[in-house]
Amino acid sequence: MSDEKHSGRTAGIVVTHGKLAEELVRTAELIVGTQEDLYAVAASDLCDEDIIGRVREIVRARADTNVIVFVDYFGGSCCINSVRAVEHEEGIKIISGVNLPVLLAFATKRGTMPFEEMVDHIIRRGRESVKVVDL
Amino acid sequence: MIVLFRVDDRLIHGQVILGWGSVLRPDRIILADDEVASNEWEKNLYAASVVPEIKVSILPLLEAAAQLKRGIFDTERVILLVRHPKDVVALMDLGLPVGEVNIGGLHFREGRQKLLDNVYIDGEERNIMRELVKRGVILDGRAVPGSRAVKLNSRVV
Repeated sequence: MSDEKHSGRTAGIVVTHGKLAEELVRTAELIVGTQEDLYAVAASDLCDEDIIGRVREIVRARADTNVIVFVDYFGGSCCINSVRAVEHEEGIKIISGVNLPVLLAFATKRGTMPFEEMVDHIIRRGRESVKVVDL
Repeated sequence: MIVLFRVDDRLIHGQVILGWGSVLRPDRIILADDEVASNEWEKNLYAASVVPEIKVSILPLLEAAAQLKRGIFDTERVILLVRHPKDVVALMDLGLPVGEVNIGGLHFREGRQKLLDNVYIDGEERNIMRELVKRGVILDGRAVPGSRAVKLNSRVV
């Protein structure tokens, strides 16, 4: 299911309720610069079929690379729709609980390490990012 | 004891588990849906999204009605969840007494007209909801507990 694909840098798709996905991507780009192959699917005006369709469309267009689908939270409709969208695809991971540090880690590390290792790194960074600020 | 009987075409998701779940504190969510109950992959998908504190039963409509009528869940606080208004009629026809239903999510689709941000219905669905009104059921249109309370009964006749 998570084969390493060598053709290019891993693509990212952010799928969230409301317009969060668009703002997360936009904000990440303010910090690390414009990102190629980092897509936002904001569910706000989309029905379930549209969300599944969009994710599938992007995944198939990037069939030559690995893809990470970043969803807002585990078990929500964005998560479930994403699972449905990638059901028969290879080389894809879905990561829940997307936040800005997660996207920044993705942007800075993609293309520098093997896929599985990068996924572990991103999750670690995401988790570490939530802490009491005690300077 | 059924603390919420909800119609939501997204079935089990955040609004149910967190939105209603955190206020009603259910012991169990019963998803009564023939399609999901007959498909292991779908069952696992929905069961996995429920927090560990809440038990889940995913059953075909017939079995859900039978178990509820047998009184198996009488001592538990239960959220009963179905996909569509016609499933409410089906459960009532199977003998389940229903006083109020939360029409929590009928999402936008081609052919559906908007009643509320979270409720879009077509002609057939309007007729089914009219039937429920005729049977004395109160239709509450809240997406989550804090949403403005809207009784849909007069909106479908």
